[in-house]
Amino acid sequence: MKVLRIIPERCTGCMRCELACSYVQTGTFQPARSVIRVAPFEAHTSYAPYTCPQCAEGWCMTACPVGAITISPVGAKIVLDDQCVGCKLCTIACPYGTIFYNPETQKAFKCDLCGGAPACAEACPTSAIEYVEAETGDWLGVFAATRAARHHEMQVAGAEVG
Amino acid sequence: MRYPVIEESTVRSDDPVRQDLPGGYAGSLLRVDLTSGRIWTQPWTPAEMRQYLGGAGLGAQLLWEEVPAEVGWDHPDNRLILATGPLAGLPVWGTGGLSVVTRGAMTNGATSTQANGFFGACLKYSGFDAIVVQGQASRWVYLSVHDGVAELRDAAFLLGKDTWQTQDALHARHGLPGHQMSVYSIGPAGENLVRFAAIAGDYGHVASKNGCGAVMGAKRLKAVAIARGTKALRAADPQGLFQAADEIAYDLKTNPTAKSLYEYGTLWGVLNLHGQGALPIKNYTTNIPPEGTDLAAWEAPSLRQGFDHRGHQCNACGMHHCHMQVIPTGPHRGELVDEPEYEGWAGAGWAIGCTDPVAISWLNTQVDRACVDVNEFGWVIGWVMECQEKGYLTKEQLGGLELRWGDVEAAARLLHMINQRQGFGTVLAEGVKRAAETVGGPAAACAIYTGKGSSPRGHDHRARWEEMLDTCTGSTGTLETGPPVHPTEFGMPARINPFDPDAVAKNVGTHLGRRHFEDSLGACIFTTRTLMENLCRALSAATGWEYRKEEAMHFGRRTAVLLRAFDLRCGLGPELERPSPRYGSIPVDGPAKGQDVARHWEQMLDVWYETVGYDRKTGRPLPETLRALGLDDLIPVLWGPENRRR
Ligand code: SF4
Ligand code: SF4
Repeated sequence: MKVLRIIPERCTGCMRCELACSYVQTGTFQPARSVIRVAPFEAHTSYAPYTCPQCAEGWCMTACPVGAITISPVGAKIVLDDQCVGCKLCTIACPYGTIFYNPETQKAFKCDLCGGAPACAEACPTSAIEYVEAETGDWLGVFAATRAARHHEMQVAGAEVG
Repeated sequence: MRYPVIEESTVRSDDPVRQDLPGGYAGSLLRVDLTSGRIWTQPWTPAEMRQYLGGAGLGAQLLWEEVPAEVGWDHPDNRLILATGPLAGLPVWGTGGLSVVTRGAMTNGATSTQANGFFGACLKYSGFDAIVVQGQASRWVYLSVHDGVAELRDAAFLLGKDTWQTQDALHARHGLPGHQMSVYSIGPAGENLVRFAAIAGDYGHVASKNGCGAVMGAKRLKAVAIARGTKALRAADPQGLFQAADEIAYDLKTNPTAKSLYEYGTLWGVLNLHGQGALPIKNYTTNIPPEGTDLAAWEAPSLRQGFDHRGHQCNACGMHHCHMQVIPTGPHRGELVDEPEYEGWAGAGWAIGCTDPVAISWLNTQVDRACVDVNEFGWVIGWVMECQEKGYLTKEQLGGLELRWGDVEAAARLLHMINQRQGFGTVLAEGVKRAAETVGGPAAACAIYTGKGSSPRGHDHRARWEEMLDTCTGSTGTLETGPPVHPTEFGMPARINPFDPDAVAKNVGTHLGRRHFEDSLGACIFTTRTLMENLCRALSAATGWEYRKEEAMHFGRRTAVLLRAFDLRCGLGPELERPSPRYGSIPVDGPAKGQDVARHWEQMLDVWYETVGYDRKTGRPLPETLRALGLDDLIPVLWGPENRRR
């Protein structure tokens, strides 16, 4: 299956992916509604995006009491709006924190791989997000650990990095 | 101190996406009166949006309307306008733009100075197109904006902090890390009203010109912190916008003039300008690098290889030239700095005789953090170094400090004295023009400045006459037109002889207005280095207007005229449009050796005035120029009976 492979070292924190995603999600430019989210690491000096890795377990799907989450033809777990009752159990079940709740619509929402042409991968100017045939995985674990260690080192050295 | 938010307007900024507005606009200005603590929103109409666009254009109009002659830069009634534009927050490269428009401290005249980062995007997702600050707080405050809610908060805990520490502290206080909150602030320099203090934000972006940081300091406004709001922006034609954005990106990646910026930012600047004799070395005393300088280390790839780099891009930008880097060696090993742009390499380096990339990187970030304009910093420190070498300034005058060419540690100590206004630092805090006037004697002849008091950018303009003419005639507190982008679009030759006075003046005059347009979009000066046609296409797709190059230039010229009229009202006339003796001197060596700009100065002014349609004697835009720009109402103001005397 094709997945969104994230190569965090390449990210410059420009937020284009969020912008593109929000457009697909809402038809407007509203990064707050993006389902890919860019987080800072090492204070403000490194950034990396993260979105639903479409985990094999499908925790959100399993947790949903009304069966509102299903698998789309391109292999994405998707929320069926007409079934979702807004109980938020999926948002608790997801170990990655990549399924969200919209208080306005009272529905859960998440990455649906844009039906097979993810806008974030298209928008990223540094190819930090690629849509490729691969095993899904935890794209940020090693990155986060090494950046945290490096940040700690700098703080010990007394440099001000926030 | 916590002031309530007063919503006076009928349009609340938390309305859902406004279909009745042109796309790209949030729809309101945020008004803040620091004297009374009153905060209110002011809606603006679609017609006003089309006329003033945003950024520099909107700011120029507000400045002209609201800041009369008797309101000097430090008067409470001065306006500090922090504006963004219609493209900010949209997926065109580099659209986090901030334009600061105010009456500035260096010239005591109009200022338009830009920075990027995330300010514009955060502000618009919060529901505002601009912030207009007036008044003076009785105690230090910062302005917090969060999704249509704005409040003034006590800034006592931020006092004395530099701009990076201020951002760290505000991120922590609000629990919003990284790009979740854009912070623009002043450092100790602005707090102490250093005349060339700047406003910096998002770790490394600086609106640096004309002492805008001193204006903010005079208002006792330490910082503006804007949470990235949750509101939506609409584009009238999203597909068209994506297409225009792609075309701009393609142009920036492939067009030779922009390509090197795309790949290396301004890192090639040093070597390129060195080849033209336009790299300022040791306060314009030479154009030959100090002995032992390793020029190979100044090739862009080498500059980058020397550091551990981390990408640090502005909103929606693919230029990938902004970086954080870690100092690899020396006394500051391990410290985090911002990779200098060209102006930093020059002002914190070559101009003061330092050619060590590691040392300059460090000093440049200290300048941004304490927060003064790095160009003026270079001219001040370079001047002191030269004067000390020549015995015009003594060690005693400098409080025991000895400044030899290239000594960044001593320069940093002097920076501290300036920021704290200690000893001779008080004199230097006024900028090099005023310091030279105070000291007098032979020292005065060594200072680099313009007659209006603005700081030249970090080149040796004796080999770049265009920029010297532009800086001296400019009404923005800095160079006003900038080097032409795609000159053939305006019927000008792709290249001119840089020492042909007529061609130079014609080129500068013809392009007047283009930059005012760019600076009104909420984008970045690098990402607007594309065809006007592309910019207009993006603007049209965003707003739904049919916006063409002709309208853009009409708009730009109109904005330029307003800023000029404002400067004239402030008493800044054509008699000041000249370089200081050193700034306009003849290079003694290097590629531009012997070129004498002063000899051609009057001729260049003649041609420039003719080209822009201003009156050569009084500096006023001619009545026919005003009429052509739809500014008929300015004719009686500029040409009425009370002005006849001039
Ligand atoms: S939202 Fe979370 S639980 Fe559901 S598929 Fe994605 S990663 Fe798995
Ligand atoms: S678009 Fe790419 S570089 Fe920009 S924030 Fe997203 S992942 Fe990072």
